[in-house]
Amino acid sequence: MIELMNVRKVFNAGNPSEFSALNSVNLHIAENQVTVLKGPSGSGKTTLLSIVGCMSRPSAGRVNLQGREITSLPERFLTDIRRKTFGFIFQQPNLIKGISVLENVMLPAYPLGEKRSQLKIKAMKGLSELNIANKAASKVEWLSGGEAQRASIVRALINDPHIIIADEPTAHLDSKLSYRFMEIIEKFKAEGKTVIITSHDPLVYESSMVDRVVNLRDGQIER
Amino acid sequence: MRNSSLFFLYLSGGILLLGLLLVHASFSEKAGRENLEEKAALVKTLQLTDLCLFTEARYTRHLSQADLNTAFQDHPLSLEHFPSGSFTQPPERIIARP
Amino acid sequence: MTHWIEKQRYIIDFTLSSLLRRKVKNFGLLALYTLIVFILASTMFFTYAIKKEAALILNGAPEIVVQKIVAGRHDLFPLAYVETIKNIRGVASVESRLWGYYYDSLVSANYTLLTPPGNDAAKPSAKTTVVENDSGGEAVKPLFELNGAKLEPGTLIIGNGIARLRAIGKDDYMPFRAFDGKVLNFRIAGVLSSQSELVSSDLMLITGEDFRKLFGIDNSHVTDLTVVVNNPSEVAMVASKIKKHLPDARPIIRDEILRTYDSIFNWRGGMMIVIFSAAVLAFVIFAWDKASGLSAGERREIGILKAVGWETSDVIQMKFWEGAMISLTAFFTGVILAYIHVFFTGSIVFEPALKGWSSLYPNFELTPFVNLEQLTTLFFLTVVPYTVATIVPIWRAATIDPDSAMRFTGE
Repeated sequence: MIELMNVRKVFNAGNPSEFSALNSVNLHIAENQVTVLKGPSGSGKTTLLSIVGCMSRPSAGRVNLQGREITSLPERFLTDIRRKTFGFIFQQPNLIKGISVLENVMLPAYPLGEKRSQLKIKAMKGLSELNIANKAASKVEWLSGGEAQRASIVRALINDPHIIIADEPTAHLDSKLSYRFMEIIEKFKAEGKTVIITSHDPLVYESSMVDRVVNLRDGQIER
Repeated sequence: MRNSSLFFLYLSGGILLLGLLLVHASFSEKAGRENLEEKAALVKTLQLTDLCLFTEARYTRHLSQADLNTAFQDHPLSLEHFPSGSFTQPPERIIARP
Repeated sequence: MTHWIEKQRYIIDFTLSSLLRRKVKNFGLLALYTLIVFILASTMFFTYAIKKEAALILNGAPEIVVQKIVAGRHDLFPLAYVETIKNIRGVASVESRLWGYYYDSLVSANYTLLTPPGNDAAKPSAKTTVVENDSGGEAVKPLFELNGAKLEPGTLIIGNGIARLRAIGKDDYMPFRAFDGKVLNFRIAGVLSSQSELVSSDLMLITGEDFRKLFGIDNSHVTDLTVVVNNPSEVAMVASKIKKHLPDARPIIRDEILRTYDSIFNWRGGMMIVIFSAAVLAFVIFAWDKASGLSAGERREIGILKAVGWETSDVIQMKFWEGAMISLTAFFTGVILAYIHVFFTGSIVFEPALKGWSSLYPNFELTPFVNLEQLTTLFFLTVVPYTVATIVPIWRAATIDPDSAMRFTGE
C-alpha cells in the first residue's frame, strides 16, 4: 500500500544547524493493518509520518502510494491526494477556536464543495458515533480534552479516508480515554481502514489490535 | 441561517438600498429642477455673481469678486483666519499672477 | 459550477465565523473603515452636488462685471466710464449695479445690500440714457416686484436667512445706521423664498435711492457694471478691450466666476487636504497592519487548514473573501450613510466647518447629483486597495507547511 524507499529528510540543509531527521528509511505499510511507529522523542517518528501523509516531501528517496510515485507531484495534486486518502489525528486536537464543533468537523470538506445538507448529515453521523453529537453546536473552547480529541477524530474521517494517521494520539489523554481511543481504532480496522500511529505509549503499542510495531531510533528503523 | 446567506443578504440589501437612493437621487433631481430654475432666475434678474455659502467675511461672500488686496490672495494653501478659506481657492486669475 | 459556488459559500461561512471570533478588533476595524468611506463619500457627494448646482445656477450670472480698482482696491465706479464701454464694438448693453455690505452689530452678521437692476434712479437704463436726476426715480408704480412684494422707497425685500436670524417678517421694521449717523427705518415688504437661500440668504433688496442715502453715494457713481455682449464668443475679447480703454477697470468674465466655483472644495484646499490625508493615513495603517503579516494565531490556523486538506489557493480565497467582506460592508454602509448625511440631514457633520464664523448661514438643501461614476470612483478608492492589501501577505502563508500543524505541541 505505502512504500518508502531510501527516504531521507534533512532540515536546515546547508546551515551549521543542519541535521537529518531520517536516514535511508525503507518501509512497507500494508493495507488494513494497524502500524505503530515507536521510538523516543527525536527519533523521527513525526517526520516520517508527515512524509507518509504527503504533508512534506522527503529530501531524497521515493514514496509510493497505492503504486503511484507521489514525491514528485506538484503541491495541488499532493493536497488532493492528502485530502481524499488521509485523515489526520494530531497530538493536539488542533481544532480552530471560536467556531462550533460542527463547523470544525466539516472544515476538511469545505474545498470539495459538497452540498451542505449532505455534509451536515455526514458530520452529525460521525459525531453521534463518537457520542459527541450533543456538542455539535457548542464552541470548541467548551470541550473537555477527550471530547476535543473525539471531535478531531470525526474531522479526520469527514472525507472518508482509507488511511488514518495519528501522531501521538494518547499523549494528552488519561488511561481511560486512551482505551476509548484504541476502541475507536479497532472500529476503523474493522471497517477496513489502514491505521498508522506514532506513539511511545505502551498502552498503544502493546495493544492486541496492533499488527506491526516499527522501532525508530535516530532516524533509522531498528531491526 | 448560514453565515454566507447572511452576508449575501446584507450585500443585496446594500445594493438594493443604494439603488433606491440612486432612484431617489434622480427623482429629486427632477423635482429640484424647478427649484434650480428659480435660483437661476433670481441670479439672472438680480445679476448675482456668487453663491451665498460663506458669509463670515465680506471677501468670502463674493468669492469671484474678491480683489487683489483681500485675504485668499497670498496663494494656495493660505490657511487664513476663516475656516471657509480652507475650502476655497483664490480666483484663478489671481493664482496665475504673472 | 454548483460545486464552485458551494465551495465559495463554505469559505465565506468560515471566514465570517473567524472574523466574528475577533469581534472587538474586527468591528473596530470595520467601524473605522466605514467612517473613512463615509467621510470620503460625504465629501464627494457634497462637493459634486454643490459644484454642479453652482454651475447650473451661475450660468445666468453677468457675462462681464467691470470693477474699478484704485490702489489695488475696489472703488466706486464712475458713471462717466459707461459711455466708453458702450462704445466698444460688440457690447450690446451696459447696466450698473449698486451693491455693498452692511454689518449688523446686533447679530454680528454681514448683509449684502443690493439694488435690483432697473431700480436705480441714476442708472443708465438704455443705450441712450444719460444720468437722470433723483426725481426720475420717484415713480408711481413700484420699480421692482417679487412674488407680489413691491419694492418701494423705504422698503426692503430680505433674504430668508436674515428673516430667520432676526426673527422678522413682512411689514416689520428694521433700523439702519446710515453713513452720516442718521438712523433709517425700513419696512420689510417681503421675504425671498427659502428655496433660493443658496443664492439669496443674506440679500437685502433696496431701492437705489435708499441705497445711496444709506451709504452716501452720489448719483455719479455706482458699485460696478455688468456688460452684455452681442456674441458670446467675443466675451474675452471685449473684456480685454475694456481693460485697454480703461486701464483702471477690472473686467471679470462669467467663465472666471464659474471656474471659481469649480475649484471650490478642491482637494488641494486646506480642510480637504486634511480630510484626504487622514483617509490616506488610515489606509496606510490598515495596509501596514495587513501586510506586516500574520499573527502566530493566524499562522497556526492556516497550518491546521492546510493540514486538514486546504490548498494554498483555498487559503488565498479565504483571505480574499475576508478583505472583500470587510471592505464591501464598509463601502455600502459608508456610502448609504453618506448619502443620508449629505442629502437628508444637510451635511450635519460638515456644517460647523462650513459655517465657520458665519452667523448667517444659508439653510439649503442640495439637489442630489449622484451618478454611477462617483460610486465607481469611490469603490476603486476604497474597496480595491483594502482587498488587495489583505491578499498580498498571504503569499507568506503559502510557505506555511501543512505539517506545521503536527509540530504544535503546546497551546
